[in-house]
Amino acid sequence: MNELHQYQKPESAEALALGTDPVPAGPYYQDDYFALERESIFKRTWLNIGHVCELPEPGYFIVRELDFANASILVTRARDDVIRAFHNVCTHRGTQLVATDSGKRSTFTCPYHGWTFNNTGELRGAPDFERFYVEKQDCGLHEVSVEVCAGLIFVNLDPSPTQGLRDFLGPFVDQWEQLPVARATTYSEYVYEINANWKLTYDNFQENYHLRFIHARSGGGGAVGEENPFGYPIRYGFHGDHRTQEIWSNPSPVLSDTQKFAFGKLIPALMQKDALQHPFGRSYWATFPNLFMIGTPTQPFVHYVMPVSARKSRGVIRLYWVGEDTNASERFGREFSMTMARDVHSEDRRVIEAAQRGLNSGALEHIHLQSQEVLLRHLFTRVDEKVQAYKKALAGGAV
Amino acid sequence: MRQSSLLPGGFETLEPFAEFWAADTAAKRAHCRDISNESSRQDFYDAAVRLIPLALEYLDTRPLAELGDSEQRLMRLVLSFGHVAMAVELQGSEEAEHAQWRPFMQITTTPADR
Repeated sequence: MNELHQYQKPESAEALALGTDPVPAGPYYQDDYFALERESIFKRTWLNIGHVCELPEPGYFIVRELDFANASILVTRARDDVIRAFHNVCTHRGTQLVATDSGKRSTFTCPYHGWTFNNTGELRGAPDFERFYVEKQDCGLHEVSVEVCAGLIFVNLDPSPTQGLRDFLGPFVDQWEQLPVARATTYSEYVYEINANWKLTYDNFQENYHLRFIHARSGGGGAVGEENPFGYPIRYGFHGDHRTQEIWSNPSPVLSDTQKFAFGKLIPALMQKDALQHPFGRSYWATFPNLFMIGTPTQPFVHYVMPVSARKSRGVIRLYWVGEDTNASERFGREFSMTMARDVHSEDRRVIEAAQRGLNSGALEHIHLQSQEVLLRHLFTRVDEKVQAYKKALAGGAV
Repeated sequence: MRQSSLLPGGFETLEPFAEFWAADTAAKRAHCRDISNESSRQDFYDAAVRLIPLALEYLDTRPLAELGDSEQRLMRLVLSFGHVAMAVELQGSEEAEHAQWRPFMQITTTPADR
């Protein structure tokens, strides 16, 4: 291509203000940098860990492990319909209270000495409690901040979050609440472990530059095409720590016979459930630090990358659906949609691990980012601001 | 069970594929694709491709919760066909290589599993 594509330069002043210098490679593999990210970001930011459809009635609970903090989080819906989150830790001697990842139960009994808690967190009873030197009302489960937006459950390990979830999400709130995910009652899920830094993993999903090389067969050509071979987005958006892109839509995507057939089977069900037509069909929301969501009605997935260590992460990918499968065609369309996304994501996982192996060698001091990789640059800039501020506060004795 | 009762009438030609491909969860269907060889995928694909639209038309006439054993088996074959079609139509000669990487993406739950 001799001429720049109309989308090849990010247009906003905020994007241009991020500069064009290469970014340092160390933060993508070094333990000390990750330790600072853990404290300055992950232990004090809203993190998506589930959806209200997992707690459809009072008594349901889920448990999620946050490895980066060695934390296990118990999320409950009690009789008052309020969703609460607690550290999954008995307040007697610290035993992990619930060993299963989900279920329906209104009380939780510690396997060690039988302390029993309500799903509202209060200590309900404990054998021989009168011999302790503490009051029951002071022994409730330790609460974790939890809020919901568009059905998505977020927790924040900061005991006093500096802002509520809605303020944190800003303009995304109104948009997400118009999406099918806000009404979802079920989902298809696949998860992965990856020997890669969380940013390196997440970054793969913030650019379309790789699509034509990595997903030449599986990707369907929906976001790249003859007139936009590198898949430049139509626009980028920057919203504080978050960012968006409007994905270019190939007017003549190359689809296999079964892709056409399967999406044709899914679309009537989406229409019937008013889940096909919304203004965000090609929207992509990258929510700081580790969540992103795509509005595509036939593949409406939400993906988060949870760090484990500097060079290990876990990903959760869910396609959220409205209503159970109403008929065989919808069931087929949903499973095919997930299968196709999984093929694509398995190709991503493989190449991300290869990139991590290269970075781990220390051979590169810097990473070069092109104009389409401006979202990666924005994430790094936002992360590094928080890391440097935390380091400064540490040095000054403020934390 | 007699061989002829494995699948509803009209879909008998798919019966030889039922034992291997009619797995009962999405994760198992994905696994069937992973461990199959090229000729078994192609044979299933060739036998099923024209029948899948008819199978869905047939299955769509009744609620999923009321599917009998043979209909349930047909449903599972249709779902497995989606996995196989990814291999045959899209991954092609790269399928064997691709199969090394897919299992890292572990399917935990889908609406069809519940």
